Amino acid sequence: MQYVILKKVNFDDFITALAAQEKVVGPVARGYDNFSFQEVKSGKEISIKYIPTILPPKKYFMPQREKLIEFDKSQNKFEAVLEYDKVVIFGIHTCDLAGIQCLNMVFSDKPKDINYLVRKNKLLIIGLECNVYCDQYASCKVVDNHLPNGGYDLFFTELPDSFIVHVNTLRGDELIEKTRLFNPAEKIHLDQLEEVRKKKREIFKDEVKIGHHELSKLFDRAYDSKVWEDLDKRCVACGNCTNVCPSCYCFDILDNMNFDFNTGDRSRGWDSCQNEPFAKVATGENFRKTRGARQRHRYFRKFKYPVERYSRYFCTGCGRCTRTCMAKISLKETINALVDEQK
Amino acid sequence: MSKPKVAFFDFACCEGCQLQMANFGEVLLDILNLVDIVTFREVMSEKSEIYDIAIIEGSITTAHDTERIKNIRAKAKVVIAYGSCATIGGINGMKNKFDLEEIKKYVYRDGAKQIETLPTRAVHQVVKVDYFINCCPVYPPEILKVLKCVIAGIPYAVPDYAVCVECKLNENVCMYDKGITCLGPVTKAGCNSWCINNGNICYGCRGMVTNPAKNGQLDILARHKIPLDWITNKLDMYNKPRELDEQK
Amino acid sequence: MKTLKLTDSEYLVKQGKIIRAKQMTKLEKFFEIALAGGESLDHEPGQFVMVSIPGVGEAPLSISSSPTKRGSFEIVARSVGKVTSALHKLDTGDTIGVRGPFGKGFPVQILEGNDLLVVAAGLGLVPLRSLINFVIDNRRDFGKVNILLGCKTPEDMLFGDEVESWRKRIDVNFDYTVDRCSDSDWKGNIGLITSLIPGVTIDPERTFAAVIGPPVMYKYVIIELLKKNIPERQILVSLERHMKCGIGKCGHCQIQNYYCCKDGPVFTYEQIKSKKEAL
Repeated sequence: MQYVILKKVNFDDFITALAAQEKVVGPVARGYDNFSFQEVKSGKEISIKYIPTILPPKKYFMPQREKLIEFDKSQNKFEAVLEYDKVVIFGIHTCDLAGIQCLNMVFSDKPKDINYLVRKNKLLIIGLECNVYCDQYASCKVVDNHLPNGGYDLFFTELPDSFIVHVNTLRGDELIEKTRLFNPAEKIHLDQLEEVRKKKREIFKDEVKIGHHELSKLFDRAYDSKVWEDLDKRCVACGNCTNVCPSCYCFDILDNMNFDFNTGDRSRGWDSCQNEPFAKVATGENFRKTRGARQRHRYFRKFKYPVERYSRYFCTGCGRCTRTCMAKISLKETINALVDEQK
Repeated sequence: MSKPKVAFFDFACCEGCQLQMANFGEVLLDILNLVDIVTFREVMSEKSEIYDIAIIEGSITTAHDTERIKNIRAKAKVVIAYGSCATIGGINGMKNKFDLEEIKKYVYRDGAKQIETLPTRAVHQVVKVDYFINCCPVYPPEILKVLKCVIAGIPYAVPDYAVCVECKLNENVCMYDKGITCLGPVTKAGCNSWCINNGNICYGCRGMVTNPAKNGQLDILARHKIPLDWITNKLDMYNKPRELDEQK
Repeated sequence: MKTLKLTDSEYLVKQGKIIRAKQMTKLEKFFEIALAGGESLDHEPGQFVMVSIPGVGEAPLSISSSPTKRGSFEIVARSVGKVTSALHKLDTGDTIGVRGPFGKGFPVQILEGNDLLVVAAGLGLVPLRSLINFVIDNRRDFGKVNILLGCKTPEDMLFGDEVESWRKRIDVNFDYTVDRCSDSDWKGNIGLITSLIPGVTIDPERTFAAVIGPPVMYKYVIIELLKKNIPERQILVSLERHMKCGIGKCGHCQIQNYYCCKDGPVFTYEQIKSKKEAL
């Protein structure tokens, strides 16, 4: 365990120095309480206190549209490619770190997805702790993501006058060394960190009427619930909930032909199980025709199926699906409704 | 293989969608490598009655229009409805909200007697359409995408999910967060949320998704305290002729 | 933005050359494909491939030929979407992209030594033909073999000559039916495929049923098979979903906690009977 200290007055210099050498992205305010990860040149552009961004940092690991194949029919050429940027991502909350861990599991499951696995190692991850809840929509405690569980190179926690930084990898350490702005942490800092964590344990309580371990069992008996009928009436299938989800990874594969009708590419783009045609087959049958069935599928893909496959919840508790829902469908309310129904 | 012959035709419209094609610049040269344009009033004076692909701009609003579009359909191997007026009736459809005689008098006063008119129809409501290029005006990247499908002889499916899907991927701040009503949640995607990317709202110019969630949408309006007639008016700006599809 | 070439991407395709193509019905076209360099596809009956046309896209298609046929494999495409309609425009000598084979096919090593009841309806014959010909080519390794076929009209019957040859074989029991028929030369039955099942004589304990057909059919066929006392784990079905990646990632083919492309497409009825989205 290695902890170092960055004085708050030096934060701007840290980001500026980093951005002079590499592409740095961080949470930036967009107005109306919206934030997004964007390229920054200085620390002043970054919002240290931010609520989860419109899109999670997933977009750097699995871009909205990503080229997989380039072809040239006239040359009989067909090559698999990876297009990537080396990026330092600053300020990933623990919920989003968990989201990245989910994606890591999916894409390293055999057969492996090389595009994802190679790209992820081009990214340097700097986490940032939430000392208090971001807002009422978060449910990070019940899925156990309110405290850091690894998945970063460096991890920042805000203390009164400084940031205490957990150096988790050699790559993280090299970055610290390069900037020469960090000092070793002293006992007072470690005590302050412990104080932050202690307070957090008091503030963060299970956000729903059920505990961490019972949550997946709740879904063992939830398939035929009336709750999905209610969601069926309310959901408009805009797809917002899945597009903003840090652990949703469904995609479509699309071809593009250039006007020479010889060269082109095959790429993948984010897709959503909430979209009407998602589970439709060529002969016209739609295996999840109703919006209620599609919403149920979304919840089961967070709380049941991945528990069976990967032994972890794929809900990270970030609250984005609730914040963004056109119909104001709330994840916490849905879970509570299921709990009430099963009483 | 000889290049397919393409003809542009305009019905009730502003011809702004044809202008989008003319605006392509260099890309137009790529297109001309693959097709022969034989009729295109906005860029050339030659005309031809022989064509393979008919690109139709505008909606069908008179008996004369009806005959003319039927003739074009009979001659063309492929008919493309091009722009909002042709694909969904568009702005011209607003007149379908009124009694035909009354609206005629309102617009043309004394000249109304000389005007012969019918309720506005989209092209597919009169003849079979093979390809749809939606939007007002048409979205250039989609034009290219569809033209490539036409030339390759493969179908093009207009995305049948909400503009929100593309808007979210572009990471725009939601209009509803800004307290502004937007038709993205009910409108077919495919424009890459063109308007919202540029600070405007979605006006629904691509037509509604085929299976809109009526209950859910009403629920949203109630939650955002948006009066129903307000949103209906907004929708009818482009989408009034959709009722003719529902009657079928 | 930097670009890296990947040699181990799952999305790389093999080149396949169409060595024979034949329009079978108005909607269905048959293709025999040889992989570049004489590479063997090395598939199991019931598996599928992703067939692609550069610039158009990829589509999942069942492999119709038996693995006993070496050097090439066969597929049948119904022209319904972008890729399949573009595929229909191709002919002998043209090249396509192939990924796969993917998924779990029929567990032939378990079927060996047992009796088999094949129930194929409509396009279901395409993948089941792979199993049927595999069994015929290894006939002595299997017990009693019953084949039941069904389709809409005699004109819709795929692989007519081959089907006739199965009908005439002494080492398989064969029966077929059509939904409706105006052709007086028709030798088979008229009625739904379910009507053929009560008539077959089987030993349910040692019979495996292999069933593929349109989604609506499964429920009714399975009822008939259960009436025959075939155990649930011996009823094998293959489910149709729109696979996009073939490697259990993209989510399109998910049936509750199964990925149809990886855990299927062949499932036992026991596996899927409680999965409400399956049938």
